[in-house]
Amino acid sequence: MPEIIIDDQKFTYDKPGKVLQFILDQGLDLPFFCYHPSLSIPANCRQCLVEIGTPVFDRATNSFKVDDNGNKLVQFFPKLMTSCSQDMSDGMVVKTHATSEKVRRAQKDTLEFILVNHPLDCPICDQAGECPLQIQTYKYGPEGSRFEFKKVHKPKRIQLGPRVVLDAERCINCTRCVRFSEEISKTNQLTITARGDKNYPTTAPGRTFDDPYSLNTVDLCPVGALTQSDFRFKARVWEMNQTPSIDVTNGKGTNVDLWVRDNLVLRVTPRFNPSVNDYWMPDSGREAYRLFNENRISRPEIKLDTELIKTSWNNAKETLAEILEAHSPKDVFVLGSGYASVEENFAFKTFFANAGISSSAFVPHVISGSGDGFLLTDDQAPNTKGCELVGLEALSEKSLSSSIKKATVIIVLSEDIVGRGLVSSSDLEGKTLIYFGTNKTETAKTAQLIIPVTCIAEHAASYVNAEGRIQRSMPAKETMYTNRSLHPEMNAGRLDRFGTKFDNWRSDNNRVDAYPVWEFLSQLAPRLNQSVNWSDSSDLFDEIASSIPAFDGITYDRMDLEKGVVIQPAETEAKTI
Amino acid sequence: MTYTFDSEDLKKIDAIKAKYPTVLSASMPVLWYAQEKFGHVNNEVQHLVAQTLALPESHIHGVATFYTQYFKKEMGKYVLDVCTCFSCQVCGGYEMLHHLEEKLGIKVGETTPDGKFSIQQAECLGACGYAPMLQITNDVYVNHLTKEKVDSLIEDLKQDKMPEFESIIPPQMQNS
Amino acid sequence: MVNDYQNYKTLILPSKGHLRNVSDYEATGGYKALKDVLAAKESTWTRENVINEVKTAGLRGRGGAGFNTGLKWSFMPKPDGGKRYIAANGDESEPGTFKDRVIFEFNPHLFIEGAIIGAYAIQADAVYVYIRGEYRSWINFMEKAITDAYKAGYLGKNILGSGVNIDMYVHSGAGAYICGEESSLMESLEGKRGYPRVKPPFPAQRGLWGRPTTINNIESLANVPLILNMGSAKYAAMGAKTHPGPVLYGISGHVNRPGVYEYPTGMLITDLIYDVAGGMRNGKKLKALVPGGSSTPILRADQIDGVSMDADSLRTAGSMMGTAGMAILDEDTDIVDFLYRITHFYHHESCGQCTPCREGTGWLEKLLHKIKTGEGELRDLDLLLDLTSQMEGRTVCALADAAAWPVRYTVTRFRDEFEARCKKSVFAFA
Repeated sequence: MPEIIIDDQKFTYDKPGKVLQFILDQGLDLPFFCYHPSLSIPANCRQCLVEIGTPVFDRATNSFKVDDNGNKLVQFFPKLMTSCSQDMSDGMVVKTHATSEKVRRAQKDTLEFILVNHPLDCPICDQAGECPLQIQTYKYGPEGSRFEFKKVHKPKRIQLGPRVVLDAERCINCTRCVRFSEEISKTNQLTITARGDKNYPTTAPGRTFDDPYSLNTVDLCPVGALTQSDFRFKARVWEMNQTPSIDVTNGKGTNVDLWVRDNLVLRVTPRFNPSVNDYWMPDSGREAYRLFNENRISRPEIKLDTELIKTSWNNAKETLAEILEAHSPKDVFVLGSGYASVEENFAFKTFFANAGISSSAFVPHVISGSGDGFLLTDDQAPNTKGCELVGLEALSEKSLSSSIKKATVIIVLSEDIVGRGLVSSSDLEGKTLIYFGTNKTETAKTAQLIIPVTCIAEHAASYVNAEGRIQRSMPAKETMYTNRSLHPEMNAGRLDRFGTKFDNWRSDNNRVDAYPVWEFLSQLAPRLNQSVNWSDSSDLFDEIASSIPAFDGITYDRMDLEKGVVIQPAETEAKTI
Repeated sequence: MTYTFDSEDLKKIDAIKAKYPTVLSASMPVLWYAQEKFGHVNNEVQHLVAQTLALPESHIHGVATFYTQYFKKEMGKYVLDVCTCFSCQVCGGYEMLHHLEEKLGIKVGETTPDGKFSIQQAECLGACGYAPMLQITNDVYVNHLTKEKVDSLIEDLKQDKMPEFESIIPPQMQNS
Repeated sequence: MVNDYQNYKTLILPSKGHLRNVSDYEATGGYKALKDVLAAKESTWTRENVINEVKTAGLRGRGGAGFNTGLKWSFMPKPDGGKRYIAANGDESEPGTFKDRVIFEFNPHLFIEGAIIGAYAIQADAVYVYIRGEYRSWINFMEKAITDAYKAGYLGKNILGSGVNIDMYVHSGAGAYICGEESSLMESLEGKRGYPRVKPPFPAQRGLWGRPTTINNIESLANVPLILNMGSAKYAAMGAKTHPGPVLYGISGHVNRPGVYEYPTGMLITDLIYDVAGGMRNGKKLKALVPGGSSTPILRADQIDGVSMDADSLRTAGSMMGTAGMAILDEDTDIVDFLYRITHFYHHESCGQCTPCREGTGWLEKLLHKIKTGEGELRDLDLLLDLTSQMEGRTVCALADAAAWPVRYTVTRFRDEFEARCKKSVFAFA
């Protein structure tokens, strides 16, 4: 096995690779800016310089030269080399800042140069707290700067595109954004303009950066040159807590992180998953944060005459129970949704099956041609495959209409059938509609009874993407009934852990009055002589795994450790009948 | 003003493309072609070049802004690039530049109100032995400048009399 | 040292008028080397043998780096059926350099013949002649000469019935000194911004459009027919031992007869200034000279005794051969001003790709401006020297080195003048 010696420590490696990536994979530290594992390597920031030496091969004797102790003689390159572009070779000797004064000087000098024209914007820059420039300057940089002149001025706070703001002065010219738009999103909307220290990234003149993946450049940008316009000045990174979750705007199942402060989701960023979305996510997935915060149904509502009035949970449960008891099962139609999780759909189906309603269905939401072959799928819902696997029947629009016509009571989970245009409010006249949902949709307005349920940001539940991979979310936002400090899976940020209640900005306003579907149904169960008791979604999932063969052997732990589990490779996306 | 290439232009552009194995390589020569035709490569002209070559507009913009000889806006009819670098500096290049500024009543980087002359300061133009010197609109070199020569050059240009190419014979070729 | 230079007969410069017409060039023996090589390509002049001949002759690149041309050719890998290229570097933007234009104007076919022989030797399919955009008139000369060479059958398909196919094209730059750097030149030829490439891979492994490429200076290729005509032994005996052959000296500045002169390498600097170029003008004394273009370290008048214009002698004296573009400065020259303008040049020409050069060149210029206007302090001189060490050897290409050397050596060698320009410190006593 070829061997590489880094700071006097021997490592073996089996695949060819670059020195920097190898060093990072070992968990060792080396500063860099322009390098990114999924982009081409320009080696232009010069921050990752190291000393590289290779054993000397003597062509005359056809062997390696050795010293008196029999160790291979190592000849160091005369100049420091960029580790990001340096291929590893057998016997290579690498010296980083840990063992080389030359490397330490180079790192310090490079940072001094970067800071020459970099504006002192930290107090007003969104990047503060997650800024590689800040971190690396603190660790490797000079104490102060010897630069005593006016810095170069460039365009500031330019609305580069609908979602991205450019501050050209902060740019350190790593070219990650330009390379992203050339190599990953392939829209070629960005370029570097001008030359020398007057250069900065921009679009073609008169054009806007409306790339559907534009916000990935904000994640990539190692400084605050590119920032998200609707997150600007909203919160400091250290005030938020970061929770893993799944993108619910389409069937790709892009892994994301939800950033929450005071129980409001303030932004969504992608989470690395080499099998699904690499380091990227579509802009449309980020906009979803509004769904979690705004227009939420909080507290059950019941329709008296034509008006929806807030009511108590007891009243809601009682009303639902009475409706079920008053109707024959064959008059009740239960509709699940690809927008709800596996657990929610399973609980729904099982509960109402116990009540005698045997057929539950869902309507897949697939818009042919709307996908782009990258991270946007034709399938608009995150859990269409999950619904199929749980045993819900996939209905076409026509079948839905006839089912609606035949039924007297319609119980809907998270599916905006009116807003989707599947039915009109006149079709629902005279029917009793019970809506389990998260947001105030058109369908909710036509309901007789509204039960608020938790959204993906508030519960741990699993979703199967269009390729058959099951992944799960974690709760990021508290409801009225969950407590971050007590819940083992809820992340606590700095503000949650430290300080008194006077400097912790916590208000109850943002905590939605909702229960997870399975919990509500468990509360309702005794009233209808059912014995289901699903208090924990993890136990619920174990029940699913033991009762449905497709989920056999899958657990939340497996989903976490393996970054999702493939249930069955999908050849096509969910079909309609 | 709309900028277009007619069928003759497109034929010449095809001939340019044929010199290289990729279309991307034609970025620079076609930008030159556009500048010859329109006098500059402003934003609209850059878009025209990008569309004609089916290349990203941002790429053409990046190329146009990297190289200094492409005029990013309309310039005077005669762009006077005065070299003030290295040998020209120590042989009076700045004196010529300032004299030109005085004579035309504009500063470096500006254009005369009648749109006739623009003055720019240039880096080494490769005429060090014939300093001081200037170049007229990316074309003819005017060498061995003196204040008088500058004055008469301006008078000539005012009447649109372009000086000819001056062939400076190396001394060793003169003696034989 | 070259002793008998007064009787030197030029080989690159034609003896009388220009040789732009093919017939004029042929009349002086032009294209004979090419004909000989192609006629004997299976015997005396296999590609290997041509490369070895040039290597043995000791021709070193005339673009500034001085790398053995034949050796560079030998780096090309074995052909694999794909395209291979020569890029001829006519970007000539190094301040003080104005010699390749003389070849374009007076003897373009000498270069063309050399490039064709070189392309044959390394089995290149095409030669792209990159000429700086400002040389519009000389681009026209070259394009006409190439067209004529095609017509005469020296370029194109089946050259002189040999079965060898070589094309040649001119590509115009557009105002960027950095495009004289070989990998930046390739990026520019490929139609992109002139950002130098990270090496390795080297051009011979992956060059133009990913294919094996060799980059040679115009004057270097112009020497190739000379080597083949006179033989490598005679060529190697010309001029300085480790740096042989004729070279075009571009003498400019405060001399009576500035211009381009052709002599063998190894001419004494004093001979060049006081004899060839007619001595200092206006009866002034020599103060300093920059021997090979602005990137080469400046030499004081008291440092040039016995120093000859070849790589080894200049290196020992503390400078470099560079492009042999000599700028002669007389006693009235303001060295601080002169250095400031040089830092302005490098700041203007930095491509901006990598950190030390992009920020360093700007910082150097601002420091020099501060010193030039009389606002500088002594610690600024030490800061300048520090910055040059910070920039050198840390960048993608050598522009940062080329920007750092003039600063380091001018400040060191003219320390008194710089200190005199700085503000007196409060604690200085009379």
